[in-house]
Amino acid sequence: MTTKPVTAPLVDVRDLKIGIARGGGDPLVVVDRANFQLHAGEMLGLIGESGSGKTMVCRALIGTLARRGAKVLDGAIRLGALDLVAADEAIWRQVRGRRLGYVPQSALAGLNPVMTIGDQLAEAIAQRPTPNRTNAAAVARELLEIVAIHRPETVLQQYPGQLSGGMRQRIMIACAIAPGPDVIVADEPTTGLDVTVQAGIMQLLRDIRARLGTAIILVSHDLALVDAYCDHVVVMHAGACVESASVSRIASPRHPYTAALNRSRIELAVPGSDLITIAGAPPAVGAWPPGCRFAERCEIVQSDCRRGDHPGLRGLNGHATACLHPDLMVAAE
Amino acid sequence: MTDTLLAASDLRLTFGSGAHRVAALRGVSLTLGTAEAIGIVGESGSGKSTLARILVGLQLPDAGTVLFRDRSIYAGRQTYPGALRREVQMVFQDPYGSLNPRMTALAAVAEACRFHDSCSAAEAQARSLELLARMGIGEADSHKKPRQLSGGQRQRVSVARALSARPSILVADEPTSAIDQSAQAQLLNLFRGLLGQGLSIILISHDLAVIRYLTRRVYVMRDGEFVEAGATASVFEAPQHPYTQALIASIPGHQPRIQEPTP
Amino acid sequence: MTAVALEATTASDGNTAGRVGIRVGAAMLGAMLLAGLLVPLLSEYHPNELIAVPLQPPSLQFLFGTDQLGRDVFTRVFSAVYRDLGVAFLGVSIPLVTGTAVGVLLSVSTSRVLVAFVTSLIDAINALPLLVLAIALIALFGPGLQSIIIVLAMTNWARYARIARTRAMLVKQQAYIEAARLQGYPAWRILLRHFLPNVSSETIAYGLSDFILVIMLISGLSYLTLGAAPPTAEWGAMMSEGRPFVQDAWWMTIFPGLALCWAGISLSFITEGLSRRERGGP
Repeated sequence: MTTKPVTAPLVDVRDLKIGIARGGGDPLVVVDRANFQLHAGEMLGLIGESGSGKTMVCRALIGTLARRGAKVLDGAIRLGALDLVAADEAIWRQVRGRRLGYVPQSALAGLNPVMTIGDQLAEAIAQRPTPNRTNAAAVARELLEIVAIHRPETVLQQYPGQLSGGMRQRIMIACAIAPGPDVIVADEPTTGLDVTVQAGIMQLLRDIRARLGTAIILVSHDLALVDAYCDHVVVMHAGACVESASVSRIASPRHPYTAALNRSRIELAVPGSDLITIAGAPPAVGAWPPGCRFAERCEIVQSDCRRGDHPGLRGLNGHATACLHPDLMVAAE
Repeated sequence: MTDTLLAASDLRLTFGSGAHRVAALRGVSLTLGTAEAIGIVGESGSGKSTLARILVGLQLPDAGTVLFRDRSIYAGRQTYPGALRREVQMVFQDPYGSLNPRMTALAAVAEACRFHDSCSAAEAQARSLELLARMGIGEADSHKKPRQLSGGQRQRVSVARALSARPSILVADEPTSAIDQSAQAQLLNLFRGLLGQGLSIILISHDLAVIRYLTRRVYVMRDGEFVEAGATASVFEAPQHPYTQALIASIPGHQPRIQEPTP
Repeated sequence: MTAVALEATTASDGNTAGRVGIRVGAAMLGAMLLAGLLVPLLSEYHPNELIAVPLQPPSLQFLFGTDQLGRDVFTRVFSAVYRDLGVAFLGVSIPLVTGTAVGVLLSVSTSRVLVAFVTSLIDAINALPLLVLAIALIALFGPGLQSIIIVLAMTNWARYARIARTRAMLVKQQAYIEAARLQGYPAWRILLRHFLPNVSSETIAYGLSDFILVIMLISGLSYLTLGAAPPTAEWGAMMSEGRPFVQDAWWMTIFPGLALCWAGISLSFITEGLSRRERGGP
């Protein structure tokens, strides 16, 4: 069991708290205990159901919170030495694309329908720290080769509407890596894509990580996907990170929610018996109880679980959990 | 062996005309027994939704037959005439469009109950509330309009509405694609329960895990035809056709490196 | 799960703002309707009665003064409420009903010739500005409030038909319509209970904003002496009559004008409030 290398993280999120502005009143807190770190060359999976806050964290990472009427209320996001929380739009313009790439959920939303692929790639390439215009065409072709698009000459002339969903997503990835960022945030990049296409895209992300050394944050609700492709997993529930561990370690979870998620995976279900579901639902945003928010549905809940602030992540050997009594879990299994 | 409830034979359908003809179905045949769940798995563009619409009677094929209990479902240009209509119902993929936005969940289900049972408004309401409760929609939620319900809840209301017709067959076209994982599990458990009560289900999905869990037999569809068919367990464990193999291989975790089809 | 909750939160901001708007507008409109009922009943003066010295400024006896023929402006303004609002109501509801029906029928029609013909007709009518068309047609029918209603019925339906048809084409594709077909509901039931309510929500919303326009149209036409004939009390007509006296007897034009504004503003509040509630956000 090797200990994690003590290198400075590329992205460091600490105690991030995000709220949505409400007309006349306190902001509605949607995330309040987000903690995780991304190291160079790592693929990190940020897993959570809808409502867990993962999308908000994603937006905070790429600086689009303001557009949704949300803002960071507390905590820090550091990209290397840069403080992203304090960053204004000018700094974000420098950061986005160049240091932090983004692959959105729907490539249709990310690509301009009236510009050719070639033009859009050229735009992305021009964002490089040292743009070299004469080389742009060659770079474009090279990018298309990296994302495994055959017949690049044809595709460069086409418009997004003429391509399949899978190909569009590959173009999005090409645009994201064009400026050469160290980090890419991929927000559910394979939703809505066929399984084979999904596998291709995920494989591509893995290849990019291997070839270019880009670190990737994959936001997803699909545990199986994260399990298969990521190195490190961070589980979110009701606005807080509840567990953070490597993929191999997360197989022996130390938080009851992760364990419940694991058990309820459809892939693991036995045909002929009921699917295991997690009873109840996460507490609604705005109605978070004190203490741990999984307490209501937890099998090993103790009296101190319902008191005070939501527990933070505390780690043993690179496996951090927000559960106050992880040792009780073995007994319950 | 179960009796054959539904038998489709050599279904063909072409869309468009002239240079823009697209063959959506190229000769598709399947059977469905009582209290059986079969799966139709395929990717987008395979024609599975078109097949679903034909089986349910929303679309007429260019050629081929569909027999329900050994009787053709076609009478002229009409499908499932008369009393047959209620026998085959559908749950749609998009929970947002499948409920009338101006009717509460209760109203939508009660309308169906009242229509099929010819009972009083009060009886219909009582039966609807009970049906919705069985689907996990409580009384308070039953009085809500669709926009106040989650995707999973909307799907369950759709199922309740479909069930009020007391059908023999439920065709579910990608019922879990647009909803949460926990909502998916709830819906699938619901389907399993209904199977146990004698309902037959045709489950159309691109999600192999869901197909594997719920269905006993599966048809693998590609480009308007079935490339493989058989017991779900065998098809998953030992796929014969290269396309099926590619599908199975692309399930996350099945194989670290896969050959993806050329785009 | 929280997507719904978040929608609900932002929606509630729109909801509260919307509800306030609707209430304010409804209160204003209600007050006007009440006054339109009570004032003519309780007033000692008949709106067309020549009872007093002409061109008197507002006083305790004649709250809005008297006009050039010695009639009480106060009574006249309020006796015009139901006339103005009533004609506008007819001028909106008749086109709304006919236009929606045409639009819906167009969307389910299978005759391509018919559809092509009717849509061309709709486009042609919509291309012409309503006021100009109205003035031209009034020349045919002769001036008067009834003519205005007839003219509106003949022309305004086209705007509703276009909205209804576009919406109907959309609704036609929705899964709940197909689900209704699968249930075996007869066509009339699907049309009336599922189709129509979802289409007419759009046309009714348009109708509310159209209401304001139509009131202005009626008053405008009356101002041009093409609408209400003297001695009928109607805001536009009153403003027209007050025109030569606008310097010395401002009350003859101002008060009917204010009534017009009040009606328009109250309807605007309601329309805006409803749309905020629908949109769910500021």
